Amino acid sequence: MGLGRSAAVVIGSFPLGESDRVVTFYTRDFGKVRGVAKASRRIRSRFSGALELFTLGELVFFDGGRSELVQVDHFDIVRPFAHLREDLERLGRAAWIVECVSRLTAEHDRHAALYGLLVRSLRALEGPTPPARVAVCFGVRGLDALGHRPRLDACTVCGRAYPFRHAALGAGGLVCEACARSETGLVLISGAAVTAFERLRLARWEEALAAPLGRSEVELGALLDLQMSRLIGQPTRSAKFLRELKRLEPTAGGRP
Amino acid sequence: MAYYPEPVARLIDALQRLPGIGPKTAQRLTFFLLKRPADEVRELSESLVAVKDKIVYCRTCFNVTDEDPCRLCADPARDARLLCVVEEPNDLLAMERTGEYRGRYHVLLGALSPLDGVGPDDLKVRELLARIEAGAVEEVILATNPNVEGEATALYLAKLLRPLVLRVTRIARGLPVGGDLEYADQVTLSKALEGRREIS
Ligand SMILES: [Zn+2]
Ligand SMILES: [Zn+2]
Repeated sequence: MGLGRSAAVVIGSFPLGESDRVVTFYTRDFGKVRGVAKASRRIRSRFSGALELFTLGELVFFDGGRSELVQVDHFDIVRPFAHLREDLERLGRAAWIVECVSRLTAEHDRHAALYGLLVRSLRALEGPTPPARVAVCFGVRGLDALGHRPRLDACTVCGRAYPFRHAALGAGGLVCEACARSETGLVLISGAAVTAFERLRLARWEEALAAPLGRSEVELGALLDLQMSRLIGQPTRSAKFLRELKRLEPTAGGRP
Repeated sequence: MAYYPEPVARLIDALQRLPGIGPKTAQRLTFFLLKRPADEVRELSESLVAVKDKIVYCRTCFNVTDEDPCRLCADPARDARLLCVVEEPNDLLAMERTGEYRGRYHVLLGALSPLDGVGPDDLKVRELLARIEAGAVEEVILATNPNVEGEATALYLAKLLRPLVLRVTRIARGLPVGGDLEYADQVTLSKALEGRREIS
């Protein structure tokens, strides 16, 4: 109850009533917080553009304690991350990151490491690193931070030590070929991808962004989306968005 | 809600599904309607059914209309060389209120939204391309909302349309970022239309 104040990132919003908006923040000090921003959809709102997706700011809110929703008092922009909204690939990758954070965290559950990872990832997306790589680095470390690091040193069913041939990935980690016959929902994972996963997890952030991964990057991207989707309980929406963009992308001839 | 008579509970439940209406408002509206004269309520219910029966989407521009093609598409005085792309029929009405625009429209019926999983396939994008390939359009004005979804939609369409049409413009950012076009006042919208620019 009372006033709360924290650095926070806007990770979602939807309209409420005539002109209000419910905004979801991921805050440094309180974890996920959802609040009502009164009259924020009016074209001359006192929030103006501050509540746009991905904006990092200083949030002041009032928690009356009677509802799940707090009242958003102020949100002062610290860094708008506007470039993420000016490029569709960056937008899609940034959306995937905030979707994972938004859907895999509980309200008012402080998680400073995850908050740090979120801000670091958005910052990297504005830099020269290809957006797909930033998403992969977030995914590897995000699973870790959320307590869902897949086991990659042994088969999660029989305990046989890795390496083994034809490894598959399940919800909890690797499954060997013998055990894979009786398991469902598995996908194959290459030895290179297992190595790359461990490498990205242990490397310093800047090193992880720059490490050469070759074709493992695409494979890891898909595997991480699958792991996140499993945890969420349904396919991620931003991955669908990215797929559709790719499919309709104008080719050299101008025809989609 | 077991203590309400069944028809009352049913109406409250139906009203609650409308955007911006919570359980309290739904109850208030239901008891308000109960007190009104029968013919007034009948008129309301008939107009609800009529909207669903008689109103369709124009197959050319996807505006809501009671005749297909709609009056705007059928009007020979509207300039066929200018095509203004908006998200929703309400945005089209807002543009019309400026009284400044004499071209034609295309309503996308939404905007790209990665967080809601709305991609180009969910919008009237293919239909827009077909209209442009038919040939008459010389300028496409992207008048989607100045928020994340609207900007993403404008970016996407600009990329897609630039090889196909002479000029692709975006309404100026005289409008504050983060708002809904629907709520813009006429002056702001006139200014935005005046200041439109080629999108890079
Ligand atoms: Zn095994
Ligand atoms: Zn029409």
